[in-house]
Amino acid sequence: MSDRADEHSPASEEATAAGRPGERRRGTPGRARVSLRAPANPISRKAVTLWLMEGILWSLLLVGGSFLLARWIDEGRWSWLPGWALDNIWWLPWLMVLLLVPGTLIEPFWRYAVHRWELSEDVVYARSGWLSREWVFVPVSRIQTVDKAQGWFERMLGLATVEIRTASHAGSSTIKGLDYEVAAELAEGLARRAEELRDDAT
Amino acid sequence: MTGSPSDRSPAEPPEGTESSLPGSGAVPNPGPGPARSVDGAGEGAESAVFGSGSPGSVPHPDPARPADRTGPSLRLSPKVLLTDPIRMLPSLFLPLAGVLFLGGFSPGSFVWAALGVVGSVAFSAVRWATFTYQVAGDRLELTRSLISRSVRTIPLERIRGVDVSAPPLHRLLGIAVLRIDTGAGGDDKQEGELDGVTVEEGERLKAVLLWHARARTARRAQARETAPASGSGDFTAANVAEPATPAVVRHEVGDATPQRVFFVLPRKWLVYGPLSGSYLLTPFALVAGAVGLAFQWGSEFKIDRRVVMGAGEWLWEHPPLLAAALVLLLLAMPVVGVVMYAVFNWDFTLRAAEGYLIAGRGLITRRSVSLERRRVRGFEFVEGPAERWAGFGRAWAIVTGLGDSETRGQLLPVAPRETVLDVLGEAIGPITTGLRSHPPAARRRRLFRAIFPWLVPAACATAAALLWSGLWWALAVPALILALLGIPLGLDRYRSLGHTYDGSRLSVRSGSLRRSQAVVEKRAVVGWTLSQTWFQRRAGLLTVTAGVGAGSGGYAALDIGEAEGPAFAAEVTPTWLAPFLVSEDLGRGNPLPAESSLLGSATPGEPPTPDRSSSSGERGNG
Repeated sequence: MSDRADEHSPASEEATAAGRPGERRRGTPGRARVSLRAPANPISRKAVTLWLMEGILWSLLLVGGSFLLARWIDEGRWSWLPGWALDNIWWLPWLMVLLLVPGTLIEPFWRYAVHRWELSEDVVYARSGWLSREWVFVPVSRIQTVDKAQGWFERMLGLATVEIRTASHAGSSTIKGLDYEVAAELAEGLARRAEELRDDAT
Repeated sequence: MTGSPSDRSPAEPPEGTESSLPGSGAVPNPGPGPARSVDGAGEGAESAVFGSGSPGSVPHPDPARPADRTGPSLRLSPKVLLTDPIRMLPSLFLPLAGVLFLGGFSPGSFVWAALGVVGSVAFSAVRWATFTYQVAGDRLELTRSLISRSVRTIPLERIRGVDVSAPPLHRLLGIAVLRIDTGAGGDDKQEGELDGVTVEEGERLKAVLLWHARARTARRAQARETAPASGSGDFTAANVAEPATPAVVRHEVGDATPQRVFFVLPRKWLVYGPLSGSYLLTPFALVAGAVGLAFQWGSEFKIDRRVVMGAGEWLWEHPPLLAAALVLLLLAMPVVGVVMYAVFNWDFTLRAAEGYLIAGRGLITRRSVSLERRRVRGFEFVEGPAERWAGFGRAWAIVTGLGDSETRGQLLPVAPRETVLDVLGEAIGPITTGLRSHPPAARRRRLFRAIFPWLVPAACATAAALLWSGLWWALAVPALILALLGIPLGLDRYRSLGHTYDGSRLSVRSGSLRRSQAVVEKRAVVGWTLSQTWFQRRAGLLTVTAGVGAGSGGYAALDIGEAEGPAFAAEVTPTWLAPFLVSEDLGRGNPLPAESSLLGSATPGEPPTPDRSSSSGERGNG
């Protein structure tokens, strides 16, 4: 239990800053019908940067891809496409930009409002998603492995992802965008506690 | 194994005698062996505990036969020298035929072909001579020393099931294939296969291997003393004649182990197989295969491709013949379906023996799957539309650590509903009734999802047909028909939706073309995932998936009410969810605790029972 208190501390100032009611207004705008309270801890603010970087990378790839496609179509003059599509093929990359830019800009902040986690009463509770939501509850007693992983961008930003696995994919949780120290502490604490509690029922 | 005291105590003497033979010589490195192969299995903690906890106390199957202990290094039956080359024949056929053709059937080419055959026989002889298996202490070792020596070690305590199957040729020769299931998550490398042991040896080995699994159970039960008997009451079916004393269990064949036969598929019920829709498309697959073969072999045998094509074109120009062929194929569907189904499910037998559920089936390849009852966590009852109309159903067991559970977990083939439920009730547990229905918004969503995907192409194709060419009607009309069929389908999908919890088991049902009701013990739940898409959020719905370390891994209550979803999860595992539920409900301003108030709204028929939550209040009673 002592390690649990420790895990709360690094994020506590952010948690108080966000505040639970305020968070809910942001997280689920206009309504709170799902009768679950938000998990206590927000993830690292740097996660916004992470998602922004990832989003920009993907947008660039997609826009670049659509640019190449447009050029290819323009040169090849695919005969089976209707004429108006061929004439206006150069709109394709711009359309892509139009669609991707707002999403890329909004998603990180929206995600930051939704993604939260908590460990209490020996249950890991994590919320994630943006357009779609996911709430995952994993009791520590059923945890099989706890991994922490770091991608390129995450390493650059000092972030880490904690992957909590049980015997079932539907009972497994992935918490992204944690500060590296928080992630390490959480993973360590969970592994230790899971060993104490390990329950062999499944 | 229910782990009752009477099971355990007799297991004592052998264990005692074993530990008095310290080291026992045969186990040079009891530590590293199991640890090494356990590493990747995600179960390391458990196995490691056992490895270190009782290193010398490997219970011996039969102390009177020390041969078993050191494990005579055994070879497969020499009959594999016959089966192996024959099995290789199809892959050898083309090269051999090629050699003969190229050589123009000269004596020289025959010599080469004969050399090929001899070579393959020699190869399997070498394989046979260099492969040995051995039960060494607490491990099964499969040794292959062809060029380099490789030893696969399977710790006996990790064996979860043993299948004995006999393909036709094997059966003719009286040998069988033994597959050892270690529950390593479907990773083939972790599993062992002995292809070609005599049937007697297969049975003996199976008994030895499973005996260890049972001994482990007994040890574990002893280690915990209290735990296992409590939670497993209704599911591991105490009413089955279990062997009263494991010490009596020997490893000879024909051993008088009490068995109980739950179900034998009567021959005439084989006719109902196609109700499930399985094998119905076999005729078409056969025709497609034949056409493919005609092209492939046509070139082999120097039949001109144009001849084959010409035959096809000729058929195409005679529509009546084509139609007749199609009708013939359609008529063949049920017939071939029945035949195929009968071949695979001939004499389907479900019986219980020594803590295992054993399902055997098959006419040509006789296949038997042993499921450890201790690992059974529930079942799935499945019905298709035709089966529901006729009152039939099928069933699968939900077993932890069973790879390929779709084929191996099948408990019952297509059989009358009542029979299936009776057998399930005896073998595993009764089905739960009184499913709570899902909110009306779920019906709209089911309808939308059944209709919309067809409506879009229908609309597009209609527009195209009106604008461009009448040919598009060919696409528009079927799409429109499918969209129309989506209405009853969506309605039925909604009717199928349901969930319930009876105090020890939760149950969810969904689907129409394959309506499946899963009944899972509470203790098998390892976590919850609640998910809500954008559309579900607008409809006030969400999907609650119970993570289960068995079967398909998760069983979902689709489109459950936004408030009922968390309440359902909290009802099953109150201690996990309680800290995170908010009691206040903005919509209704209901001051009651979330669980009870939501339960009330979820079950209009039955009042919320306060004792339910308290009875299931203890955490993880596994």
